[in-house]
Amino acid sequence: MLFLRRTLPLIIAFVMGVIGILCFYIPHSAAESLELELTKWDRIVAAFALVLGIYSLMRLHWTRVRRQNPGWGYSFLVFVGFAIMTLFAIYNDGQGPLNPQEIDTGPFVWMYNNVQVPADATMFSILAFFIASAAYRTFRARTPEAAILLVSAIIVMIGRVPIGAAIYHALPDLAQWMMDVPNLAAKRGILLGVSLGAVATALRIIFGIERSYLGGGEE
Amino acid sequence: MKAFLLNLDRRVIFVFVALGIVIPSLAPVRMPIPITKDVQAIYDTIEDVGAKNGTVLISFDYGPSAKPEVQPMALSVLRHCFRNQIKVIGMSHIPTSVGLAQRAFETAAKEYGAQYGEDYTFLGFKPGGGSLVINMGSDFHGAFQKDLRGSDTAELSVTKNIRGLADFAYVICLASGNTPDGLWIPYGQERYKFKFGLGCTAVMAPDQYPYLQSGQMNGMMGGLAGAAEYETLINASGKATAGMGAQSFVHLIIICFIVLGNVMFFLYGRQKGGAQ
Amino acid sequence: MRYCFLFLALLFGAAPIHAQQPTGVEAIDTPNDSGGSITVTWARAELPDGAVYKLAVGESEHGPFHPINRSEVNLQSTDPGTFGHGDETHHRVFAKITEYADLADPSNRLPIENGKTYYVRVNAQLPSGETLPFAIASATASENFFNWSKGNNFVIGTVFSLIILGGIILAQKRDLFIRRIAGLEALDEALGRATEMGKPVLFAHGLHPMGSVSTIAAINVLSRVANRTAEFNTELRVANNDPIVMAVSREVVKESYLNAGRPDAYSEDMVFMVATEQFSYAAALDGMMVRDRPATNILMGYFYAESLLLAETGASIGAIQIAGTDSYTQLPFFITTCDYTLMGEELYAASAYLSREPKLLGSLKGQDIGKAVLLIAMILGTLLATVFDFDTLTHVFSAD
Repeated sequence: MLFLRRTLPLIIAFVMGVIGILCFYIPHSAAESLELELTKWDRIVAAFALVLGIYSLMRLHWTRVRRQNPGWGYSFLVFVGFAIMTLFAIYNDGQGPLNPQEIDTGPFVWMYNNVQVPADATMFSILAFFIASAAYRTFRARTPEAAILLVSAIIVMIGRVPIGAAIYHALPDLAQWMMDVPNLAAKRGILLGVSLGAVATALRIIFGIERSYLGGGEE
Repeated sequence: MKAFLLNLDRRVIFVFVALGIVIPSLAPVRMPIPITKDVQAIYDTIEDVGAKNGTVLISFDYGPSAKPEVQPMALSVLRHCFRNQIKVIGMSHIPTSVGLAQRAFETAAKEYGAQYGEDYTFLGFKPGGGSLVINMGSDFHGAFQKDLRGSDTAELSVTKNIRGLADFAYVICLASGNTPDGLWIPYGQERYKFKFGLGCTAVMAPDQYPYLQSGQMNGMMGGLAGAAEYETLINASGKATAGMGAQSFVHLIIICFIVLGNVMFFLYGRQKGGAQ
Repeated sequence: MRYCFLFLALLFGAAPIHAQQPTGVEAIDTPNDSGGSITVTWARAELPDGAVYKLAVGESEHGPFHPINRSEVNLQSTDPGTFGHGDETHHRVFAKITEYADLADPSNRLPIENGKTYYVRVNAQLPSGETLPFAIASATASENFFNWSKGNNFVIGTVFSLIILGGIILAQKRDLFIRRIAGLEALDEALGRATEMGKPVLFAHGLHPMGSVSTIAAINVLSRVANRTAEFNTELRVANNDPIVMAVSREVVKESYLNAGRPDAYSEDMVFMVATEQFSYAAALDGMMVRDRPATNILMGYFYAESLLLAETGASIGAIQIAGTDSYTQLPFFITTCDYTLMGEELYAASAYLSREPKLLGSLKGQDIGKAVLLIAMILGTLLATVFDFDTLTHVFSAD
């Protein structure tokens, strides 16, 4: 049992990790085929995992509906939405499930265009309000560093929109310079650290030093 | 009044932001849009691809949430390509972008008389992420055997000569997630050395500058402003250009609130340990 | 190194390849590839406008020669990793050939086969139609076993790996110092607060899939959090937006509860799928926060624009919030709205920090040494390239 739960996953992680690294350096067709095969496996596993996700989603909301937890009506809507979209997909604008999905017309497309697109866009647009509120509450020139950050933010915000150029013609160039130079320098510094961290984490996983992703931490 | 400003209810800020969006949207204000070098680079590359009769791959990697920002980019790039008789192949890493991509293709193709199968095709969504990109790099027809309409990619005029990603004169990713730096650069551009351009949401844009400087990406349109710049370049004002007024005013409103917050902080807040 | 002098500086323009009678024609197996192509190179020269180079391939030196269309010649304008960085490469032109036309049916393309010798004829045609004398070179395509253009990458990667492994060995021999990470120190306090208030702890994953390092790091933190909530008997809820991450999280939480001696407290419903869509995920989590009012929110992984939507809602319900991300564009949002934030590498270091396991701490030390080496190389490279116009060190670290 321990072999299946711990040793085998570690062996798979090691073998796959080493294959992944070697394939990056070997252009030979054998390596290419192996990599291609593994990428196909990866996609198949991902497709199966989707089933698992749907099961979990349904189970969670079914429990809420059954127990009539606060807000269970929203959970019920999950089933309504899921059933409607599945039926529309099967109906396929009269073409049936065996034909390629109709992409121009039909109730599925209508629901997508008129429900999902505006609902998602609305959620994203809330961000503008939240940014304004968070900026007002927290953006304070408490220290010289915070003051520099504040001035930079104002220049970039105003320089990236047309009114910036209308206020002062050099503002867009200044904003671009800030993105190209100080922003880039900071980003590069973080990226280098993060990349080294990623290499170290990858090595820890390949060599089985890091095991907490298998559950239960160290043995 | 002092207490009100020090502990300003966030709903008051929300009202001002809403007014800043609604008023300029109802009474549009047109302002000249300056062009940045990163957007110009994408425009120039597409002009160059048109002169060399190349094929462009567009990866529609954005969901409906990013539609206001990224869809105008998709439309502008497609219009530019079709105007220059460039063949375009579309695909997606995100299932919910299929409808948006399809609409963009239909709109632009109708305007310029581009023919499905001859001038463009849309391959649709396929899962796999990095694996899919590697697959496309070495065996394009194997990765996408059929397009979204069920046509065989090995026979379709627009795709039959494409064997791998290196055969594309330009690859453009329109994204609202991690596909440019998470998939296209490490698994695609780094391996197959194609020219790569990006259109992304404003919040993603600062993340992408290292790739611009390293040359792994040759141009970038960031957010609604980037889309408006592209619309200006191809002389086709659209929703992005129209949205610039609202965006300008909302930025000004946020700046005003930040300034107000700091004034209150320096006048009264410090004695009380800062406004909360 | 024989390829170092080759580089395509030229752009062949639209269809025609402007040039003159080719000199110095050489054909080679295209290096660093999986075969199926040969590369022909010749000296770059000035020629009248409208002159074009014509390429043709034959299986014998005496022909017949099969023409190659412009579209079949894959001209790589930038491939210094293969063809070098030197100035001499600007004086050469190269064309990579992967297939040629069948004389019987020109629409039929024949691929270049491995192990077969091909003769490439290069000649120039003037605008008048006059063809200049040609030159022929031969090459045999073959598969390569190592991509030498990635040699620098291999060496640097190996050196860094050895440094990290060295750090791990070192850590087993002596104690290593690790600086205090406030966000991780506060973890127990935040979980204790939830226990005192009798409210749940919400752990939300970022949007990246299981292959991402930030997700693996988040899973490591989750392991520790689950261990503590099992000990404190606090309700834990783990929200996921990727089914594979959910499956792994479920396994991790289950094991943690088992190790804490509380398998009875574990329920499959603790780890659940919310939505695969970014804003559906954010909306659902915001709803859960407002309805269930968790005392502690832990946001770990790679976040995008939803970061502020989650953290701002969490702040509005008064939850103590600990965030950890390597998405630097979202860091300002987390810093302004969360009580503690793990920035970039701090998230990766979480596992080592929390467990104090010498091997894990050693890898952090190795990482630091690697960073120091990079810093020295960067300073040295900048100095050499700026002051002495010597850019070899720059090329050593180049990805091309």
